[in-house]
Amino acid sequence: MVWGTIIAAYLFLAGLSAGAFLTSSYAARKYPDAKIVRIVGRLISPILMGIGLLLLIVDAEAGLKDPLRFIYLFTNFSSVMTIGTYFISFFMMAAAYIALMELLKKDINKMLEYVGIVLAVATAIYTGFLIGVIGAVPLWNTAILPILFVVSAFSTGIAGTMLVSAFVDKKVIHHVISIKKFHLTLLISEVFLIFTMFLITSSTNESAAQSVSMLLSGEYSGLFWLGLVVVGLIVPIAIEALELWNAKKLHQTPAGLEVAASGSHGIAATMITESAVLAGGFILRYLLLAAAVPVIFI
Amino acid sequence: MARYGMVIDTRKCVGCYACRVSCQMQNELPVEESYIKFYEKETGVFPNVKNEIIPVQCQHCEDAPCVSVCPTKATYTTKEGIVLVDADKCIGCKYCMVACHYGARTQDHNTGVVEKCRFCAELVAEGKQPACVSTCISNARIFGDLDDPNSEVSKAIVKMNAQPLRPDLGKAKIYYVR
Ligand code: SF4
Ligand code: SF4
Repeated sequence: MVWGTIIAAYLFLAGLSAGAFLTSSYAARKYPDAKIVRIVGRLISPILMGIGLLLLIVDAEAGLKDPLRFIYLFTNFSSVMTIGTYFISFFMMAAAYIALMELLKKDINKMLEYVGIVLAVATAIYTGFLIGVIGAVPLWNTAILPILFVVSAFSTGIAGTMLVSAFVDKKVIHHVISIKKFHLTLLISEVFLIFTMFLITSSTNESAAQSVSMLLSGEYSGLFWLGLVVVGLIVPIAIEALELWNAKKLHQTPAGLEVAASGSHGIAATMITESAVLAGGFILRYLLLAAAVPVIFI
Repeated sequence: MARYGMVIDTRKCVGCYACRVSCQMQNELPVEESYIKFYEKETGVFPNVKNEIIPVQCQHCEDAPCVSVCPTKATYTTKEGIVLVDADKCIGCKYCMVACHYGARTQDHNTGVVEKCRFCAELVAEGKQPACVSTCISNARIFGDLDDPNSEVSKAIVKMNAQPLRPDLGKAKIYYVR
């Protein structure tokens, strides 16, 4: 593995950070009184991105020894990494500024938040394009990968935000039903995207077919089926669906409404779902890097 | 302006590793690091089988993917078509290693810089041959100007119908006779 666990963690954190930003912006509009969700999303976003960037710096050995060299990262406009460096830098600035305003309890410039939203989406797509443009690795070299990364970024972003929010105030998670519905949709799309990607690439390319069989039945099949599919996708899909179903039932009776409003039922399910989604998001990126079989050139 | 390239005749290569050792000496590489890798390939059906030894190093691609992905412009192509790494600009992000179709790059873990075959640019500038070429015990390697139809390398390509390893993966400047 030329790019290993550290890069997987970086890709995961960048997506998570962008997703948390999007979640908070959505919550700010849709649920003005769900303050916790908004504040948590806005605060964790720049922090997680910062951790991701630190990891990136640690992995870039030559730059780590001579940090001034990182300036050159802004120089090659034909490199996806350079473009991404611009996206991430501006996204970090916007996210950090908005987090600061939130801490200072000041109003946030609407325009700036929209710019932040665009940059968050750009950051999430970038993490997919970074490896997606590599012709040498057919598993990555598909148009589906950037879409999968955006969906997964948003999904982990929701999970991270909800998890921390639930710690702060367990009532809040029952108020943001549409976020949960959204989350469920994303998770189901992810299953669909992963298998479509595998099906298409493995039927057109020998190296990709090798990658896919490493994941489905070879070296990484345990982590793929148990870690990604069961823990990262099926479990959260099942719990989220159940919760939504319960919520619907609760909202049908006055007594139920009261239970929902007081948040007196547990948050264990939320904790499990969101942690599982986060684990799945990391495993997805790790597996894609680990199963990168290059084109066989001999 | 010259455009440098090479022919490697795998029918002559005996797999003695002399080129690799001379390359390591020229580039002061430790034993475990090298810019030339050896691959073996068996073709044909018994009893007509051929076992081929294929030395592979940086192919000095035209439109090299390592050059276009390098975010710092540390990897660049010289006027003579040699792909080089500026060790003072490389951050060691390894994007070029991921992008190279031939697995031709290695990272020096002392400096963190990613390096590879440089066609011995400093020797070539003095009018000499790259170390691997002058060392080869069976004259399996020919180096020279691809743009000059009278150069030894151009003539060899035509005469032996030498082909890049994988023409479908982009234009390379190393031609193989197989
Ligand atoms: S062979 Fe690899 S390292 Fe050499 S020029 Fe081509 S892409 Fe770059
Ligand atoms: S490792 Fe160095 S040469 Fe390779 S892409 Fe990164 S900065 Fe460029």
